[in-house]
Amino acid sequence: MNPLFDAATAPFDRLTFEEAESLRAAMDVAYFRPGQTIIGEDAPPEGLYIIVKGTVEERAQGELLGLLGPKDFFDSRALVQGAGVSTFVAREETLCALAPRDDLLNLINGNPRFGAFFYIDISRKLDAMAQQDESSQIENIMRARVRDLFLLPAAIIDSVQPIASAGRIMRDIDCNALLVKDGERIGIVTGMNLSKAVVLKGMTIDDPVGAIAQFDMVTVAPDDFISQALLLMTKHNKRRLVVKEGENFVGILEDINLLSFFAGNSQLVGGRIDHAATLSELAAAAGQIGGQIRPLRRQGVKFEVVAEIVSDLNRRLFAKLFDLLCPPELLNKCCLIVMGSEGRGEQAVRTDQDNGLILSEPVDPTALQKFRDEFSGALADFGFPPCPGQVMVNNPLWSRTIDDFIADFGRWITTPDEQSAMNVAIFSDASAVAGDESLLARAKQALVEKASHERVFFGRFAKAIEAFEPPIGLFNRLKLEEGDGDALDLKKGGIFPIVHGVRSLAIEQGLEETNTFKRLARLAEIGALKPEFSRDLARALDYLQTLRLDAQLDAAASGSLLRPGELTSMDRDLLRDSFQVVKQLRDLLRHHFNLNMF
Amino acid sequence: MALRWLFRAMDKATLADKRYSFLFEPGPPDEVVSIDCETTGLDRNRDEIISISAIKIRGDRILASQAFNTVVRPRCAIGPEAIKIHGLREADVANAGPIAEVLPELLRFIGGRPLMGYYIDFDIAMLDNHVAEFIGVQLPNPRIEVSRIYYERKYGDAPPGTQIDLTFAKILKDMKLPLFNQHDAFADALMTAMIYVSLMDLKERGVRISRPRHKGVGDFHGG
Repeated sequence: MNPLFDAATAPFDRLTFEEAESLRAAMDVAYFRPGQTIIGEDAPPEGLYIIVKGTVEERAQGELLGLLGPKDFFDSRALVQGAGVSTFVAREETLCALAPRDDLLNLINGNPRFGAFFYIDISRKLDAMAQQDESSQIENIMRARVRDLFLLPAAIIDSVQPIASAGRIMRDIDCNALLVKDGERIGIVTGMNLSKAVVLKGMTIDDPVGAIAQFDMVTVAPDDFISQALLLMTKHNKRRLVVKEGENFVGILEDINLLSFFAGNSQLVGGRIDHAATLSELAAAAGQIGGQIRPLRRQGVKFEVVAEIVSDLNRRLFAKLFDLLCPPELLNKCCLIVMGSEGRGEQAVRTDQDNGLILSEPVDPTALQKFRDEFSGALADFGFPPCPGQVMVNNPLWSRTIDDFIADFGRWITTPDEQSAMNVAIFSDASAVAGDESLLARAKQALVEKASHERVFFGRFAKAIEAFEPPIGLFNRLKLEEGDGDALDLKKGGIFPIVHGVRSLAIEQGLEETNTFKRLARLAEIGALKPEFSRDLARALDYLQTLRLDAQLDAAASGSLLRPGELTSMDRDLLRDSFQVVKQLRDLLRHHFNLNMF
Repeated sequence: MALRWLFRAMDKATLADKRYSFLFEPGPPDEVVSIDCETTGLDRNRDEIISISAIKIRGDRILASQAFNTVVRPRCAIGPEAIKIHGLREADVANAGPIAEVLPELLRFIGGRPLMGYYIDFDIAMLDNHVAEFIGVQLPNPRIEVSRIYYERKYGDAPPGTQIDLTFAKILKDMKLPLFNQHDAFADALMTAMIYVSLMDLKERGVRISRPRHKGVGDFHGG
């Protein structure tokens, strides 16, 4: 038994029993009094410290980067590189198990799976982490219950009714299976049964449906695990199960819905949006977008991809709504844009509307106003909350002619207030979703043009990344008990600085890309950022966003935020790595834009 | 204290095997040994040792990597109650050496260092059964009772009538240490060492362990 480190959690779970035992046997335990330095700046570390009790501060240039608690370990970077950039100081009485450097380096070199966690390169580390996720994802799926799945309605038809009626009901309720009541018995009939009866068996559409129903139904309860449903389908060779709670029929579970729970069905939702002919059809499709996120995350799909899929669906939805509502007076004279996180394609869980309209020329004010109100109202009905800052089509400030927009850019660029900077930020993330895209391209070009003549603007603009300190107290249990959620911390301390810092560079370079990941790739291409650093930033952003997304999903399910205390030590280590990358970006921008002047 | 010194002096004089006179020399300053024995039962006269773990502590460092760990084959059967506690069965100790083979190495390991433990008197009494046979005297090493330091830090200034809890679990909890698998000699010696270094720092800095304000509430969790 091992009292010094938890061999069941990453990265130590990747050691063989013998390796773990040899590491344990090589460890000493060191005591540190409050305020005592454990690893000094630029000092070669004796080994890897694993906290047994107490709290340790990680500092760099006097700045507090984070707090570490029991089971956390440090400093993997310093261990591999021979010296670190951070200082580690005991905040309270602290005991650390100490794994000697040589022993650990041997394990890192001898066991690649273990070694991956200690690479200096956060990208490779996160990739190693992603592989670990897969097994736990499957487990999560298997713990879901039948009631979590999409079920077909349990519509019942009497067995004496003709085949024709069954067909009509199926069409009306848009469902391919019906329950058939035959006295006390209940059976099932599918569309395929109907067709086969008529086409292959020569029955007429007036024959009773009872003659072709199958009465050997297999039932499950809503509380059964979906793994059980899957087993029943396989065992009885059934494509459908009847879901029954007590004596009541709750619905019909089809194999396709079981599969889509595993895989999501975003392609179906996309098709539904494109084919919607009315607002209510579109509303139904809109309601299914949010449902795509969970299955995708369950499969271990990372934020970047989840956001891309969701953004694509949202944009198709906006475009379709535009098609349905746009009056002839506006056609070919405007461009519908989405801005902010939606414009960057980095919104997964729905936040608020951030959209606008660029007109090529003044149009009939009555028609315009009607469109504005209908559009924003429809989106609100679809479940997109109105934007608190009123960045919406129904706000005349955000739906006006391109000339009016451009006339304002000068003021946005030169006025040193928060609102102006915010406007530039929001607009520079804009993407066209419908109408004449060249309008947005022209407007953005004008914005970049104006900004490029105002060197002082960039410093003021980029300065916002210094508004929030790194998330101090993120791991501090005491602080957590006060009820501080981590979602805000992740956003302020990590996500915002990356997004805004990259945005500042993107505007400076006049990039067309709005997505932060694509901006990063482009910045590396044109040599504005080192390729490795650009990749590290992308990985860090993806990791922070994924954590935040999971916290948001968790909150939706349980009504409470995920607590960092529930994260694994590995996650906390990766968090620290991510914040380290954020800090490097801050330093780079501070220098690049001369932020000390502002 | 004076009496112990006298015994020591007498013992040193009567030490049968002079090769072990180093036991009477003071060990390196700043070093103590955390020691724990698992036994066949709790009867000091009849029961025997089946495993020993000794870990040196040098200043703030617990030298766990150089620990002395051994399993001992007892001459008597292991009681079923004891097996339940430490999990060592006859089969587990069948291939181990008898205590006579183990003792010389243990004695060289501990040298003249103070022996520290939780209810250390029991462990030393168990060892003394054999040490006396072996070298003619009892272990002369100074003893440090960890629960006594804890008592002093926590209850040293307590008003009369304060309810006192010196269970191992309670001490761990107060020291904010996790409970590993207790009744494994190495884990016990290691936990005791962790308690010791933590307590010694509190003592040095004059920090007391806080007591709950209310009195008389029984602890139903067994400490």
